[in-house]
Amino acid sequence: MELNIFVQHFINALSLGSLYGLVAVGYTMVYGILRLINFAHGDIFMLGAYFVYFATIVYKLNWGVGVVIAIILTTICGLLVDRIAYKPLREAPRISALISAIGVSFFIENFAVVVFTGMPRPVVQPPILMKPIEFSNGVRLIPLGILVPVVAFLLVGALLWLLYCTKPGLAMRAISFDIETTRMMGVSVNKIIALAFGLGSALAAVAGIMWALRYPRVEPFMGMTPGIKAFIAAVFGGIGSVPGAMIGGLILGFVEIMSVAFFPTLSGYKDAFAFLLLILILLFRPTGLLGEKLEDKI
Amino acid sequence: MRNVRNLILTIIAVVLFAFFLDKAPELLNGYWQRILNLIAINAILALSLNLIYGITGMFSLGHAGFMAIGAYVSALLVLSPAQKNSMWILEDIYPWLLNVNAPFIVSLIIAGLVAAFFGLLVALPVLRLGGDYLGIATLGFAEIIRILITNTARLTNGSLGLKGIPAYTTLFMSWSCLGIVLLCTVCMLRSNFGGVLRAVRDDEVAAKMMGINTFKIKVIAFTLGCFGGGLGGALMGNLITTIDPRMFMITQTYNVLMIIVVGGLGSVTGSLIGSVLVTTMLEWLRFVENPITIGSINIPGIPGMRMVIFSLLLIMVIIFRREGIMGMREFSWNIFFPKKKITDVGSKTETVLELENVKLKFGGLSAIDNLSMKIKHWEIVGLIGPNGAGKTSAFNVISGFYKPTSGTIKFLGKSIGGLSPDEVCKAGMSRTFQNIRLFGNQTVLQNVMIGSRIRQKYSWWMTLLPFVFTDVIKEDAEARAQAMNLLDQLGLDAFADEKASSLPYGAQRRLEIARALATRPRFLLLDEPAAGMNPQESEELMKFIRRLRDEFDLTILLIEHDMKVVMNVCDYIHVLDQGVHIAEGTPAEIKANPRVVEAYLGAGAAEGGAA
Repeated sequence: MELNIFVQHFINALSLGSLYGLVAVGYTMVYGILRLINFAHGDIFMLGAYFVYFATIVYKLNWGVGVVIAIILTTICGLLVDRIAYKPLREAPRISALISAIGVSFFIENFAVVVFTGMPRPVVQPPILMKPIEFSNGVRLIPLGILVPVVAFLLVGALLWLLYCTKPGLAMRAISFDIETTRMMGVSVNKIIALAFGLGSALAAVAGIMWALRYPRVEPFMGMTPGIKAFIAAVFGGIGSVPGAMIGGLILGFVEIMSVAFFPTLSGYKDAFAFLLLILILLFRPTGLLGEKLEDKI
Repeated sequence: MRNVRNLILTIIAVVLFAFFLDKAPELLNGYWQRILNLIAINAILALSLNLIYGITGMFSLGHAGFMAIGAYVSALLVLSPAQKNSMWILEDIYPWLLNVNAPFIVSLIIAGLVAAFFGLLVALPVLRLGGDYLGIATLGFAEIIRILITNTARLTNGSLGLKGIPAYTTLFMSWSCLGIVLLCTVCMLRSNFGGVLRAVRDDEVAAKMMGINTFKIKVIAFTLGCFGGGLGGALMGNLITTIDPRMFMITQTYNVLMIIVVGGLGSVTGSLIGSVLVTTMLEWLRFVENPITIGSINIPGIPGMRMVIFSLLLIMVIIFRREGIMGMREFSWNIFFPKKKITDVGSKTETVLELENVKLKFGGLSAIDNLSMKIKHWEIVGLIGPNGAGKTSAFNVISGFYKPTSGTIKFLGKSIGGLSPDEVCKAGMSRTFQNIRLFGNQTVLQNVMIGSRIRQKYSWWMTLLPFVFTDVIKEDAEARAQAMNLLDQLGLDAFADEKASSLPYGAQRRLEIARALATRPRFLLLDEPAAGMNPQESEELMKFIRRLRDEFDLTILLIEHDMKVVMNVCDYIHVLDQGVHIAEGTPAEIKANPRVVEAYLGAGAAEGGAA
């Protein structure tokens, strides 16, 4: 394989992987705290992309302003989901919340069909992000390919700082360890959980916006497959661990892009790799790369 | 008497319904016939997923994959060679597949079997996972199956799918299939094997201690459920007459999941009611997506609205009535009628249990260090020590939950170190748990009957047809009689039909012992039997333990913090401290032992605490 093609694949894998990672972080935070697979997370991601579409194409706002508004609106949606569909079920068996999550995911997807219709919509691509840069050795890159991983790493870095260097972060880690004890230490658990949902949704919105820029269109079911894959990335990296989610996302991105790059005949099976990878890791290291071992107490 | 009456009522109901189905093609239009068909198919799918998830407690999201397998297998078998020839456009069909053909009923059975075979392949690796991980792994498998179908065009015609499948799924076919599936499911769930399935769901650890190979049970239930998934998929394909890979996305699994959640997880009746409600509702809601004309006003249909309403209803059910319509209850004719109510002597071996230099390490931490002890037949032995001394760890090693890092454990002369809990149980040992582990959702009687499953000879598949294999009915009746006998001896007979979790605390402790005794152990381990009891209750407990030993010819090892109980009831005592065996002797000797006093009171810690 020629160098310039390889570099393009590499950048492509890096940006796809960091998008998976960004969504996976949201899954991992919620799961770490509530032991809940937030099935609606992929649909929150979709909402982020749609809000930008509405702001820029329907209301003709400036792209930058549209992005900010979209992130805020998506975050509000994430908080609403928690408030309406999950909070009443905190004391219920975990499966109830899981079914509720499936219901919410259904709801958002189909509500999007009702409001936005099922037709794929175009996306505004700021020219500055799309103009290819040529290097002397023949490598051509579009700035978006570089911007995506940079933004993703900065955001996850900021999240790690918040988790490990601030009081709310400490509270969040404490809740994932033992929710009841943390409550007794005077932490308002529901606020911290809402914070986790809000942060996760904001990151998902950013990921959704960048995803829509890569494949320049939005549609109501665009969050389904990336959502499931990002969850797999989170499990792969060790669910509950933020760096693990990012690493899992990157590995998944590289496996998907590189396998098709080197074995083009397998392109039809591209989506199967993620699941195969998942089943293998679950069998050999059930708690993922960076996950902690849990033991059933007898 | 009551059973005969119920049987007659059931037969009358079935005959009436069959009569209705027979006349249905004349009475109902195509739309309602289709809904009736879908109800039956959805009920089969719901029953099979309920068996996997509601009854046995395995969270599986893979049903759509097994449905796809069933639908494709059946369709490929019933399509004629001419149809196949004209359908494979992009790639050629495999020559051997072109002429394969089978009658519809045969194709249904093969569809179920192939799905079950794939289910077995999936089960063997992934059922080692639990909880959400299992759900995600099964979801992954379903997706892989779908992607395989899309990409093996020579076998499945890829993403184009199969068209023109003969519409063999008549009302008679779909409802007969449901009838058979329902009969087999109900028979199996009513046998003691059904109790075992629920026991695995309620508490896997305790089920193992009842001598049950829980992994095997889970594989059986999962495979059976996949058979149902394949069968349902096959019927669906022959009803709709067109199938393609996009039909079997995760949404399909969610539909079935919704049915069993709305009906009530773990309830067969609930699955049936859920199928009727959800199917009718989904079809009825189609009106919101069609344009409506009222007088001169035209309301355009709103695509997607149907699922919006439906998902809102699902969320509301789960928030406001999360146990579903039936909870875990079942329908019984009795609701229409007002209400009108053993011991083994083993041969005497001198040493029952012998531990030699047993060590147990977790990473660098040593939970038990060089434990050696001998327990003789007919003895009641106490194992005491301060918190964290390794008492429960010792129990877990003896009963097979932990594998000793080194050392030997001999039970009745045989080495049992490294055996699994169910094998240890079969060797003649049983135990109770510090935090009571009953099968809370089952009745007191069922809890005890599960303990007798290891002595029953019939195989699980016989429970599908108990009228043919009458051993099932006979052996279950024996197990019931023996269980009642045990409950009688332990003074629990009045509670026989109560839910185990509804019993008062002391009775729950006794029930746990009754359940352990039902496996007919020679050796019983009691983990803090007096925990949470008041002085009067522990007084009774002491008498009870001695009586147990005498009546059931047992050897007993017990962990206890209540010193009064230990000193009064035990013949011999072993003391652990921080994993080290620091003393043994008769109660009088232990009371006078300075090391024991130090371990408990902490005086002279440098000497007493072993590093």
